[in-house]
Amino acid sequence: MSCRTMPNVAPHPAAEMVAASAPGEVRIVAFLCNWCSYAGADKTGMNQLPVPAEVSVVRVMCSGRVEPTLILETFQKGADGVMVLACHPGDCHYKEGNLRAFCRAELLERMMPQLGVDPARFYFDYVSAAEAEKFSQVTNDFVAAVRGLAGTDSGR
Amino acid sequence: MNKQPRTAVILCTCSGIISEKIDWDAVQAQLAEHPDKPVVTTDELACGAENLEKLAAWLKEHQPERVVVAACSPREHERTFRGLLASAGINPYYLQMINVREQVAWVTADPGEATRKAARLIGAALKRVRHHQPLVERHVPVRTDVAVIGAGPAGIQAALTLARAGRRVTLIEKEPFFGGMPVRFEELFPNLECGPCLLEPGMGELLHGPESEHIELLTLTEVTEVKGSFGNWQLSLRQQPRYVNPELCIGCMVCAAVCPERRENPWNCGGELAAVDGPFVGALPNLPHVDAARCLKLNGQECGACLAECPVEGALDFGDTIRDSVVEAGAIIVATGAEELPVAPPAFAGKDNVFSAYSFERLLAMTGPSGGELVKGDGAAPASLAIVQCAGSFDDAVTYCSGTCCQAALKYAHIAAAKQEGLTVTRLVREQVVAGVNAARLFSHDHSQVVRYGGLGDLTVAETDRGRVIVCGSNGAEVPADMIVLCGPTVPGQGTTQTARLLELGVDDAGFIAPIHALSGSFLSPLKGVYLAGTCRGPGDIREAFASGTAAAGVALSELVEGRDLTVDPQVAVVAAEQCAGCKSCIRVCPYKAISWDDATKTADISDILCRGCGTCVAVCPAGAITAQGFSRAMLRAEIEGVLS
Ligand code: SF4
Ligand code: SF4
Repeated sequence: MSCRTMPNVAPHPAAEMVAASAPGEVRIVAFLCNWCSYAGADKTGMNQLPVPAEVSVVRVMCSGRVEPTLILETFQKGADGVMVLACHPGDCHYKEGNLRAFCRAELLERMMPQLGVDPARFYFDYVSAAEAEKFSQVTNDFVAAVRGLAGTDSGR
Repeated sequence: MNKQPRTAVILCTCSGIISEKIDWDAVQAQLAEHPDKPVVTTDELACGAENLEKLAAWLKEHQPERVVVAACSPREHERTFRGLLASAGINPYYLQMINVREQVAWVTADPGEATRKAARLIGAALKRVRHHQPLVERHVPVRTDVAVIGAGPAGIQAALTLARAGRRVTLIEKEPFFGGMPVRFEELFPNLECGPCLLEPGMGELLHGPESEHIELLTLTEVTEVKGSFGNWQLSLRQQPRYVNPELCIGCMVCAAVCPERRENPWNCGGELAAVDGPFVGALPNLPHVDAARCLKLNGQECGACLAECPVEGALDFGDTIRDSVVEAGAIIVATGAEELPVAPPAFAGKDNVFSAYSFERLLAMTGPSGGELVKGDGAAPASLAIVQCAGSFDDAVTYCSGTCCQAALKYAHIAAAKQEGLTVTRLVREQVVAGVNAARLFSHDHSQVVRYGGLGDLTVAETDRGRVIVCGSNGAEVPADMIVLCGPTVPGQGTTQTARLLELGVDDAGFIAPIHALSGSFLSPLKGVYLAGTCRGPGDIREAFASGTAAAGVALSELVEGRDLTVDPQVAVVAAEQCAGCKSCIRVCPYKAISWDDATKTADISDILCRGCGTCVAVCPAGAITAQGFSRAMLRAEIEGVLS
């Protein structure tokens, strides 16, 4: 597959995005694919491992469904951080959607500074259906990292 | 959508498991203030059979247009609650589930935080369901007959299994005879069973048994085009002329005996055939076929020797022509097989008495070029035999081990030594893999010398005063090698490569057809209704071929059932033709080849039968022309807005 099949990048009014974050707790949106990372999040629950309440999960069938514009919109709507968690390479239920997601994530991270959003507010990773501990870990780490970023009105 | 549809919210306590963390009373109080005015109920155990009945009655009473269920993971009970909606007369796709058990109650320590999060997610669901569309499952009739491409052991086994269940099968074989590779092997690993004896009962059954009514065997036939999809495939076939009428020919082979023209026998890797002949004695179907390139009569010369002697009027038919046809089938089983790497390593290329594994099989066979005698090209018996294993494996071109060459080498060593007393047999190995209980027996009775070598570059062939030897550079070993057998790697057969291309199936690094999952779905291609059997999936032995042939037939039987229509999941992607910009990006990215190009309208079109709803095309479409039903942009936006507000 090629990483060059990503024409779907519409310009966005960048400046308002971060400013839109409201005072109070940080707000994180995590896009999880139905087959691996969402199942992993379920397993996190079964193992009673902590996930920060600030993380809101949006379930999609495949991480390959999440286009960069949707992520940028999510920032625009006030998210302090966005996560996309995909199946591990080779494990995608739909063969290679996760790799497309990865390619898009790479591109997005490179674009973000130009749009006025700190790339540290975006997190892409692979979480399998079995990786309860990893899901707990990455969500906690990411929330902590976003809380520490300038411009995030946390802890007030 | 401006008007908020009447929405019902069901809050499940999960027998107290959820309500231990989440205060549903507080949430219910909050929902009472919600501008959308949802009707709300709390249930002890919403998935319970009795509870579902009560909830259905409650829904019927309130007649909501949308339903939000806050309970466990949709991966567990989405189907259950879709069923609940259906039983209450509500479109099942008006449901949105919120996973408050696994993803809120069980992962949030503080009850206050858990309750706030649950309320937030419910708020988001209320926004999302506004955009839900009533989706309807479509039912499509499917054909239950099956096309099997390739009539080796895997294809034969698949065809017989299907025919025994009463299915009609078209078995397509490009050679003039069938049985694949092992029918040409005299003895099989590990118990030295006779290959034709193992296969012929099934082949006979296929040709003449009660199942033959259900099976149409087409030899000399190749697939030229495949159209359609699961349940309704159309295969275009091209059958080369045999110039022999199978209905009339009695297989006496008088024609071959009187034919004056000779050609090389490609199936025996040696020896000759008449221009009208069978590939080898015992090949089935027992019919000669005419090589049009060599037949004198077909090339404008005065002949007709065969016609003059044939005892059956009309059995030879020089008016035969190429036949094109279309066969329709509900499923396709690909059993196109593998072959040995066709090139000999440079150190051995062009040398006398060097055999590939396949040509050595034929040399050992009674029906082979020497009638089963172990003889060199000059007709003399060899004093020594060197079998080079891994001949091409673990190399730059072929990095893998085929897993069957050690088996073959042990077998050759054993048979050759038995055929000729005093024969010096040496196996040159890089690695040895002889797994399995039966294999161990042959291995432990192996009397050949074993010499390890480092790589093919290490080996040279030299003439000495003691005869020909293979010199192993790294350790100086000199292996007597009157006769040399190269056990090369197994690579995809020509038919496999061609079929993969026709069906646009992905292949692995070696060119074998990639299954949908290497472990759990090795008989399934990613294309629904295309199943895989035998060595088109990778190197394997005969046992594997039988097993996978049975398995592929089993999958076909379970997926294509008489009277059971195909239910098409409506949660697929659809293209709004008027918005399509015609860039074809979606066609390139769809992992299931579900998108085709409509040349008339110059737009992309998605087959709901093939689409699996991943949404990859949605994300890639620059025109925003594609909607993933059930996960539309509007739904996701509403949900995102909801969790952020
Ligand atoms: S990606 Fe969109 S615009 Fe391009 S062909 Fe497909 S549907 Fe049409
Ligand atoms: S949703 Fe996935 S499977 Fe369906 S057409 Fe789009 S890319 Fe293909």
